[in-house]
Amino acid sequence: MSLIKNYKVVIAVVLPILILVLFRSFGTNHFKSDAKKWAEPSAMRSNIITIEKTGTLSGEKLFLNLDDGGSGINGITRDELNIPSDSILCKKYLNIIRNHDGPVLLFSTETAVSARIWMILSQMGYKNIYILTNDADNEVFKSKFRPDTLIRPEH
Amino acid sequence: MNIREKFSVGLLSLGFILALLPLSGNRSFNVKPHRLLSEVLDEKTYFTVDQVARFVISEDSTVQVIDLRSPEEFRSMNIPGSVNIRYDELLDNDPGSFLNNENIKYIFYSNGDFDSNYALVIATGLNYNNIYVMKGGLNEWFNTVMNSSFKGERISARENALFETRTRARKMFNEINSLPDSLKLKFIESKRVAAKKLDGGCE
Repeated sequence: MSLIKNYKVVIAVVLPILILVLFRSFGTNHFKSDAKKWAEPSAMRSNIITIEKTGTLSGEKLFLNLDDGGSGINGITRDELNIPSDSILCKKYLNIIRNHDGPVLLFSTETAVSARIWMILSQMGYKNIYILTNDADNEVFKSKFRPDTLIRPEH
Repeated sequence: MNIREKFSVGLLSLGFILALLPLSGNRSFNVKPHRLLSEVLDEKTYFTVDQVARFVISEDSTVQVIDLRSPEEFRSMNIPGSVNIRYDELLDNDPGSFLNNENIKYIFYSNGDFDSNYALVIATGLNYNNIYVMKGGLNEWFNTVMNSSFKGERISARENALFETRTRARKMFNEINSLPDSLKLKFIESKRVAAKKLDGGCE
């Protein structure tokens, strides 16, 4: 007791800082440090999976439909959980994702929405999250451009 | 206990706290998750290819189009007026060096929808404003702007304006991307110099 009394000034300064640091380091409701590290799967495209390839993932899969009702991906008839994208950060939904032991597959009719939600969840430290898509070649250029060699730029 | 001892204990405790902090000095998201979610789900963060085409033909100086593809892809063709910043470069470097003007709208595009939308979340999460994506990427640009044609007997004024915009944007795209590589590089470089002069920067 006398020790605490002796150190009360030090404790009063250090304890709040310690609590803040612990909260920041181990809390689950904010973003993790090092954005690059958490975004790496996106640069390597290892976070994108097609329906045919879902079989290669081990563990029970959780299909998350990010649309406001309906199924975003043709062929998904198994159990899926519908979480509209704007509600994905509700505590109960985050707990479902956190407590799920296996891959979580996000899908939406809008590829942009799945990509954005994936990045947010990933930056919050959630692992084993994938984007389920019909079009694995979404980032491949699909047209052909033929330069016109007769063209002269206008000045 | 004297003041020196108290000071020492205080320093040791702070050292312990510092040891708990992550070692990495890399950048991290510094906005609240709920705020980020509402910002990135805002429909206003999308520009259609037609809107981008309008910016391109008007050479709008309040817009900077950013191509996230590889330098090879960028050299083979790009949207006129765009600059090339690879997606992984955006992750490696501080985006503050190219997203620092609050008066400019930054529009990301890639071939499809993934990289541009990841980039939007990263830039917004790092607290940069005025970040947008071109919906559908270059694939959509080709489908809508480059391959557009009019079918039918009558054309409304609105359709006509749209068709005109697409035609002019297509012409600009063809002109710039049909230049030989040497001229294209010169053209890109002259654009950069012009932009620097506009900003009042030094060379």
